[in-house]
Amino acid sequence: MPIRVNALSKHFRLFKREAGLSGAFRSFFNRKYEDFHALRDISLDIQDGEILGILGENGAGKTTLIKLLVGLLHPSSGKVDINGFTPWNRKAAFLKQISVVMGQKNQLWWDIPASESFLLNQKIYEIEKMAYNKRLRELVDLLGVEEKLNVQVRRLSLGERMKMEIIAALLHNPKIVLLDEPTIGLDVVSQSKIRDFVKYYNSQYGTTFLITSHYMHDIEALCKRVFVIHAGKSLYDGNFKELINRVNPRRKLQFEFSDVPNSGLIDSLAKEFQFNFQDNFLTAELPDSELTRLVTKLFKLSSPASITLEDLPVEDTMRSFFANPEQFLK
Amino acid sequence: MKGWIEKYLSVIRMTWIQTLEYKANTIVGAFAIFSGLAIEFLIWKQVFQAQGATEIRGFTFNGLIAYIFLCMIVGQLKSSWATSIEMIESIRTGELNKYLIRPVSFFTYHFMMFVGHNSLFYIVYTTILILFPILLPGFAFMTSLHVGGFIAAVLLSIYLSYAIYYCMVCFAFWFGEVRSLVIAYNISNIVLSGQIIPLRLFPDTARDIIYLTPLQFLVDFPVSIATNQLPLELWLPKMAAAFAWCVVMTLAGAAIYRAGIRVYGGFGA
Repeated sequence: MPIRVNALSKHFRLFKREAGLSGAFRSFFNRKYEDFHALRDISLDIQDGEILGILGENGAGKTTLIKLLVGLLHPSSGKVDINGFTPWNRKAAFLKQISVVMGQKNQLWWDIPASESFLLNQKIYEIEKMAYNKRLRELVDLLGVEEKLNVQVRRLSLGERMKMEIIAALLHNPKIVLLDEPTIGLDVVSQSKIRDFVKYYNSQYGTTFLITSHYMHDIEALCKRVFVIHAGKSLYDGNFKELINRVNPRRKLQFEFSDVPNSGLIDSLAKEFQFNFQDNFLTAELPDSELTRLVTKLFKLSSPASITLEDLPVEDTMRSFFANPEQFLK
Repeated sequence: MKGWIEKYLSVIRMTWIQTLEYKANTIVGAFAIFSGLAIEFLIWKQVFQAQGATEIRGFTFNGLIAYIFLCMIVGQLKSSWATSIEMIESIRTGELNKYLIRPVSFFTYHFMMFVGHNSLFYIVYTTILILFPILLPGFAFMTSLHVGGFIAAVLLSIYLSYAIYYCMVCFAFWFGEVRSLVIAYNISNIVLSGQIIPLRLFPDTARDIIYLTPLQFLVDFPVSIATNQLPLELWLPKMAAAFAWCVVMTLAGAAIYRAGIRVYGGFGA
């Protein structure tokens, strides 16, 4: 079920007013509006079974894009074709093939157990009883929520609630699932469980996932490809690792000398490379080519007691990217 | 069709489960109508005593109390203002999204929620209505035809009332906050539909104007059938007019919704 997005734009007319009581009073008689361009000319193709990460800062347009893809919004211009369907026509046949989980909103009935909401979804999506039972059993086992099925939703923890939301969203076996901040507010264990689940589910059923998340660990773990939006415009569409390398090609080396090196040796290296030296440890953050040279020299001069080489934290890399994205994509 | 029926019956089932989660609220809600009836009883008793009258515009005291009691029951059964406020909130806060992403109709889903939440009232009031000829003999439900006519008119009233509210709800797509419109309508329709004072007691001009609107079908029409105050030959024409209003309001609601959903921003979700 491929997704084709062509020159998609969406603008909103937003009400603006000055702060304070006087501003509220003036705006009561004289409303001022301005056009806000949430998305401008977005084009994108997504293949069956892909996991695509949609990245961008707050207000960049990620959620607007998701809402357009599932037909919650009508675009200002442009087209979306999902297996022959135009999402905002909201045909039942289309709605039965997609699902959305929004981390900050829920579709489950708050005051009653999630199992009741699942039964409602069985009827809404007209899922045959046997298939429903089999599927529910599988999802409940995978997410480990058997004991919580008959507990009122409002009494569940955030992580348990999110798992229930995911079950509700997948009962009808959708071909496309859009996860908007699925791990927001969850502890690291729950985040990791949800990531593992998405990965397994995608490989098992070939379901297409579109994920927005501010946790780069989610994106790093799940998405080979990312689509970056900045101020409503498409900024990058490609491999996530390549983007990271482009933004920050450096890696971190930590070299522990087996014997205390003489100061002359350290001084000579310092003329060529940037690093820190303390308590027998040499630490450097350098691009791969320089790191290779440095490591070669270090091995010639001394044998290491230990050596580690690691990528820089992806969160930090993406933070520097979003501070000035154009700079990295020239 | 079977799938469609099962889908929306499930919504009703969910509301029952939800209602039963809160026992005290359920019991108090079901019998809240009696406090209103007690107030009406005391007011009209004073009016009759002050005037020293045995009849006001053809109503005896017992006849009027019977009429008002039925009005309160019908008024409660058709009142979907609370559902409407929820629907407005869901448009304003973006909760509507959870209906739009599933193959359900916003209109029908909430109508079934309204019916489900009101089911308890249906049970309690049906019991009261069965006891009605024993408690106030000779004032209502003289024949089974009156019972049938009343049920048909109440069903039309429930649907028509919901369809009118729905039209107002859909203005939330443009204005965001339209709860005051619903509340203002709710207060005026309680009076203008004859729920507090029978339409027959209204000044002629006011009554003629009300007869041009669908409001007469919300309370006055079913109660007039039950209390035998509407000649039999007028039943069918009035039913047809009430049905026509249902169609008009449904089409109007659908048109406003279709236009509104195009400007919907889905904010907050």
